Amino acid sequence: MQRTTHRSLLIARPVVVALAAAVALTATSCAKSEDDAADSKKSPAAAGAEQQVVTPKPGSETCTVDAYGGKKIDLKDATVGFSQSEKEANPFRIAETQSIKDEADKRGVKLLTANAQSQFSKQISDVQDLLAKGADLLVIAPLNSDGWDPVLQAAAAKKVPIVTIDRKINATACKDYVSFIASDFVEQGRRAADQMIEATGGKGEVAILLGSAGNNVTTERTKGFKERVAEKAPDLKVVFEQTGDFTREKGQQVTEQLIQSKPGIKGIYAENDEMGLGAVAALKGAGKKAGDVKIVTVDGTRNAVQGVVDGWISGVIESNPRFGPLAFQTLDDFTQGKEVHQDIIIQDSAYNADNAEQDLGKAY
Amino acid sequence: MAPPAEVLAVRGLSKTFPGVRALDDVDLTLHAGEVHALIGENGAGKSTLIKLLTGVHRPDAGDIVFLGRDVSFATPLEAQRAGISTIYQEVNLIPLLSVARNLFLGREPRNRLGLLDFARMNREAEEALRAYGVRVDVRRPLRSLGVGAQQMVALARAVASEARIVIMDEPTSSLEPREVETLFSVIRRLRDEGIAVIYVSHRLDELYAVCDTVTVLRDGRRVHHGRLAELDRLSLVSTMLGRELGEVRKEGLTKFTGDHHATDGQPVLEASELTVPHQLHGVSVSIRPGEVVGLGGLLGSGRTETAKAISGALPTTSGTVMVAGAPLRRGSTPAAIRAGISLLPEDRKSEGIVPGLSVRENISLAVLPRLSRFGLVSEARVDSIVDTFIERLRIKASSPQQKVGELSGGNQQKVLLARWLAMNPKVLLLDEPTRGIDVGAKAEVQKLVDELAADGLGVLLISSDLEELIEGSDRVVVLKDGAVVGELAGDEVTEDKLMRTIAGHAPDRDAVEEAATDG
Amino acid sequence: MAEAALKTVPLDRTRILQWLQTYGVYAGVALLLVVNTVITPHFLSAENFRTQAVQVAPVIIVALGMALVIGTEGVDLSVGAVMALAASVTALYLGYGLVPALLVVAVFAAAVGFANGALVAFIGVQPIVATLALMVGGRGLALVLLPQLEDLRNPALASLGSGDVLGIPYLILIAAVLAGLVAFVVRRTTFGRQLLAIGDSRPAAQLAGLPVRRVLIVVYVVCALLAAVAGVLATARLQASDPTSLGNLMELSAITAVVVGGTPLTGGRVNIAGTVAGAVLIQLLTATLIKHDLPPSWTQIAQAIVIVCAVYAARGRGKR
Repeated sequence: MQRTTHRSLLIARPVVVALAAAVALTATSCAKSEDDAADSKKSPAAAGAEQQVVTPKPGSETCTVDAYGGKKIDLKDATVGFSQSEKEANPFRIAETQSIKDEADKRGVKLLTANAQSQFSKQISDVQDLLAKGADLLVIAPLNSDGWDPVLQAAAAKKVPIVTIDRKINATACKDYVSFIASDFVEQGRRAADQMIEATGGKGEVAILLGSAGNNVTTERTKGFKERVAEKAPDLKVVFEQTGDFTREKGQQVTEQLIQSKPGIKGIYAENDEMGLGAVAALKGAGKKAGDVKIVTVDGTRNAVQGVVDGWISGVIESNPRFGPLAFQTLDDFTQGKEVHQDIIIQDSAYNADNAEQDLGKAY
Repeated sequence: MAPPAEVLAVRGLSKTFPGVRALDDVDLTLHAGEVHALIGENGAGKSTLIKLLTGVHRPDAGDIVFLGRDVSFATPLEAQRAGISTIYQEVNLIPLLSVARNLFLGREPRNRLGLLDFARMNREAEEALRAYGVRVDVRRPLRSLGVGAQQMVALARAVASEARIVIMDEPTSSLEPREVETLFSVIRRLRDEGIAVIYVSHRLDELYAVCDTVTVLRDGRRVHHGRLAELDRLSLVSTMLGRELGEVRKEGLTKFTGDHHATDGQPVLEASELTVPHQLHGVSVSIRPGEVVGLGGLLGSGRTETAKAISGALPTTSGTVMVAGAPLRRGSTPAAIRAGISLLPEDRKSEGIVPGLSVRENISLAVLPRLSRFGLVSEARVDSIVDTFIERLRIKASSPQQKVGELSGGNQQKVLLARWLAMNPKVLLLDEPTRGIDVGAKAEVQKLVDELAADGLGVLLISSDLEELIEGSDRVVVLKDGAVVGELAGDEVTEDKLMRTIAGHAPDRDAVEEAATDG
Repeated sequence: MAEAALKTVPLDRTRILQWLQTYGVYAGVALLLVVNTVITPHFLSAENFRTQAVQVAPVIIVALGMALVIGTEGVDLSVGAVMALAASVTALYLGYGLVPALLVVAVFAAAVGFANGALVAFIGVQPIVATLALMVGGRGLALVLLPQLEDLRNPALASLGSGDVLGIPYLILIAAVLAGLVAFVVRRTTFGRQLLAIGDSRPAAQLAGLPVRRVLIVVYVVCALLAAVAGVLATARLQASDPTSLGNLMELSAITAVVVGGTPLTGGRVNIAGTVAGAVLIQLLTATLIKHDLPPSWTQIAQAIVIVCAVYAARGRGKR
């Protein structure tokens, strides 16, 4: 799964990286960005933002340490390895890694981390390194779903339990890995539709700013949205679907074209916050006022929630990146011998005019 | 002993390219085990003949009888399969493939599954190359070998493909003396095996060292054929250049009047001991103001290289160039131009004109910075210079805006002359200034050179046209194999003397090499 | 009779191709304008034209530099990376104010351009390889400097992106001025003529004593500076610095604009008016397809068709 912000193809060779680092050091040593004066960076671990589990359906499959074939250990004495897939270059990844680190600190667990910089081969060797360094438990945010056999074999040989977050790997649950924790993107699409129906009153023409083509996040968020609209508000017509590539710039450009050719458009569903913010910029540029066109976005970054507070965005469906507490809880339960679910779906929250201001701190 | 079998009989071969009769009714007979020298100056038709034999071009008229059969090859591959292999001046193999793959290219041994049999290929390649004195790891890419070794691979490839005729087009141009020896021993072995060789070279020593028979081409015609031993060097050179020895030369065949005279005193150009590996071995030339110095010699003797080395376009490893007493920075064309040296290159089309730009832009190209203020071109000054030269040199173009690529050769040459004259040069290096241009334009260019010298310019004239060289030059410096072998001045500037100088001196290559390294 | 027909057909085709190459891009723009006027609602409005012009302005600015590089028989793949670099450097130094930040951007861009030019002119690396290295490295550096999107609130920057003079946005004015300037440089300066001569025949230019290396380096520096201008303007318009996605695939858009505009990839000729028209053509094409909500893949296919037509029309020139 690609995260919802456009990913850089950072294929920089070591030399380039070293060079870049050298330049970066010199460049940043005297840099002065706008934020330096007034430090606006808030604590990323805001209270009340932890993930919550969707109540699992009765009879959904579970896993225990006996079934998995491991041994019980005390999480407090264990070493946990965390393998991040991509550079922490967007709010989602930053919050995700931070959440794992914070939770480890909180529980006093020793944590080893690695970042694959979007290179799958690096992620494989990262995980093997973590195992070699003595990780007893693994949390992996996979870059790909396939190609994990070498790692799984190595982990199985050492009986190391694995929890994957935000993307599933193609392997057998409770045999190759313990649990998979993630959001339900189709459900996010449905809930975005609910917000849109509420904001527009269920009538009129709306547009979708699609994510990158060929991305499962795009397909699933589109699917959920359309399903729900068809089901609950047949008078709400999707008349425009163009890709904004998950970037603010493309979101802005496409929205500019949209409002020229369809001035009567009532709502825009942006499949991530960045495109939604691009749409806001386009509306501002065209002299529209906040609320003229209803915008619903998915992700829950601070900028988007601020947009809700300012009235430009009607609703933001959260895609919660704070996997730390849930991942560690799962590992804790599992290592104590309790049953854990194989698929753990997160309950994402949402922001709208009612709660945006007070919940702004929860946004990442 | 029965006479050796006739392998190749060419009768009345002719080929015309647009505007040029490249080959005119040429015969050629080749016997098994014969090493046949094919010689001639530029444009004599050697390459055309080779291309007709190897299927690159199709003849307009005439027959090629190969091994008793009338043949007409459609492609070089077909000719090669039939048994005529060619080794070109530039190695035409694939640098990235292994030596063995190159050797067997197009006829790789295969195993029963139809896959390449690498083991056998490598084994056979190693054996084949050992015979040529090349001991290398045949699995390495070809480009890791030296040029000489690559040449040997090409040769081995040509012979290994069961050739009956091997054509060698200047095979020694990039070889070291020791490698030349190896090549010669290979040629002698081929001869013993009954393979016929056509050997193209301008190096007389080499011809006399290995060839049995000779065919001389001139202007597309065969002007001589027979046993090489029966033709001495001087006659060979005179046949090649189309001059009878002792012939009373008619005056006034060119427009040169010769009424310019070198002033005494300081030479305007003094090039000494110019050395370029493989190309020039310590060449020295000096020119005084108002003097036209000719550079004589056969093709490949280093005339063009000398001109380029003087103008900074060909980097020298040693030697100096002085202009009006001041030394020139080595290997910098802009520095040479600033000092007043202008080169009219031999290859007008690819090194002279800028074909897509207009006559106006071509004329003003070099002088542009002088016609500009703060980088902005003064169009009025460009126009005035361009108009002046179009008129003075009688350049025929539909307008100054016409693309130079669309002009005739003569007018292109005049545009180039205009480009340099606009710079007010002290020395003009003219490399084949009248080649490939029509008679009228030729006369005009010659007259112009005279005028320029009379005005006090120093001129270096390179020409394959003997009349032009003799009548145009006050002095002729004769080059051979990249070294000066003589100098003719005053009354000595005659065709006879020139040809004798070219043919007469025959120091062996090693001696030249030594002399070069000493310098 | 048959012979006559045979003779005239190829002649006519050459003439058509020549016409297409010279005027095809303008004809294409005109055609799209007419078609859209008929089939696209709300097309004939000042706001619409402003939107299209504002969106195409950065592409035009990058394409101007690309046209110069292509005129020397080169190509610059690093323009997108330079835009990203400009974006992150802007964000990094905006604390000192807009003008100092822009100066630092210029320094960075010039450095990238110099590296490109030096690789091409001195080391003799093929332009496509040299600039590929900087394309990868430049974006890498941009991301190291600024790992994630950052919102910018500088009012001067904001007005650069969305302000206007007499209803004409700064973006359009800047693009127009730069286009005029580049056209002037090509036509009227020593540098412009030397550039064309080098592109047409490098050996001849060298033997004519032109400062080949200096010209090449300046061309790549100018190209990088123009890309940086485009990067700053795009950042200003977005009011955010987004080095991860800004300028992605910009090199291809720019090359397309140049080629469609009738500048041959073989160098020796630069058609600035055509380049601007080429960028406009692609913009209108994209806008048409988006406005009619056709799938994004159609846009790519349509662009491909335009490029093929342009290359076909340019084919005649190849045979000299």
